[in-house]
This record gives sequence, C-alpha cells and structure tokens, in this order.
Amino acid sequence: MSEKKIKNIFVNGPIEPAFIANSIAKHNSKTAIGGHSIFMGQVRKDDIKGKFVAAIAYTAYEDLALEKMHQIREEIFEKYPLNCMHIYHSLGTVKTGEICLFVFTSSAHRKPAMAACSEVVDRLKAELPIWGKEIFEDETHQWKENI
Amino acid sequence: MKIELIIFGKIAEFINNQNIEVDGIADTDAFKQYLENQFPALKNMKYKLALNKNIIQENTEITNHATIAIMPPFSGG
Repeated sequence: MSEKKIKNIFVNGPIEPAFIANSIAKHNSKTAIGGHSIFMGQVRKDDIKGKFVAAIAYTAYEDLALEKMHQIREEIFEKYPLNCMHIYHSLGTVKTGEICLFVFTSSAHRKPAMAACSEVVDRLKAELPIWGKEIFEDETHQWKENI
Repeated sequence: MKIELIIFGKIAEFINNQNIEVDGIADTDAFKQYLENQFPALKNMKYKLALNKNIIQENTEITNHATIAIMPPFSGG
C-alpha cells in the first residue's frame, strides 16, 4: 500500500446539492480533464408491504471502511488513467429524496471516468462495512442488505 | 485472553459492545462457535468477523487483546 494519506469519505447527514456543485466547480482549473462521470445515490421511498421508507440511517465501521476505500481507490487509479476521483458517503439520517452517495471521477477522455465511476460504486456497495437502516413513516425499521 | 467485541448493524440490536475474557479459544473458527453458543440468534444470521480491522476470510489465530468486530451483510450506497 502506498504512503498516501487515507482520505475521509464520510459526511454527516445528506450530501447537499450545493456541495456537489461546488465540487464540480473546483475542477475548472484542471484543464487536462476532458470528461467527468458522476454517480449520486438518492434515498428511495420504497414501498415495503404498504409501508413507505421515510429515511435511511447509516452507520459504519469507519476505520475499516476508510482503509478499504483507500485500497479500492489505489486499485482503481492503477487500473484506469484518471485525473481525479472523489467519494462521499453519508452517515446518520438521510431522508427520502436526499443524496447519500456521491462518486465523481475525471479523466482526459470520457471512457475511463465512466468505467471507474461504475466500478467504484459496485465495489463500495459490496466491500465497505456500512449499514443502512430503513426507517418507515411509522418509525418502525428494517435493515437493508446489498445483494 | 481479553477480547474487545464491537458490533454493527442489526446485530447491535441484541449484542452490545463489550470487553470479554475467554479461555481456550485459539482462532476465529472457535470464536464463532463461542459466539453462537452465547448468542444463539447468530446461528441463523449471515455475518462476518473482522479481527484487528482485517475482514476474516479464512480461519485465523487470535492473540490476547484482540479487537473483533461482528458485521452483518453490508448495505452502504
């Protein structure tokens, strides 16, 4: 593993659209970039046997998640010619319609950015120790499980 | 042997984080047996252990003052 500093990916509560806009704006000085790919996860108002999801409360084994994310980040940078990659995931309560995940990859041409973005999302869902508790409108809950 | 147990997700609804003292447990397979005897609800659940922040894929030796996490299936994103 490289000596690079382990970056925090966690944000308390929802990821605000203004934060995302600002993150995009910061790239206007990086003129080698020709393509960005962005994935945003939004909390869906799932209907589970007549009960609607009102929010998801996220918890994580933060230390392990950040180490694992660091490793995934290094592997993705090895595999694709990316200029940059930014990843943010919510902790705590995120209401339906709000953003809980933001993955942003950039490269000189579009294809590596798009492939890397998709792969990061897949790996993050499968490999990071993060848990989402779906809270229904009547305040009961169930735990999500990624397949 | 002292072990710090940390629990996540739905398993944290019935097991609290705790420091435990166990004897005669040498590895993670034996520790799983111990856990499932102590907390029978675990027998019917999918979970993984992380030993000192390493996710356990195969049986691994446990040494004194280990930190072991019990983790149900992940659901981030």
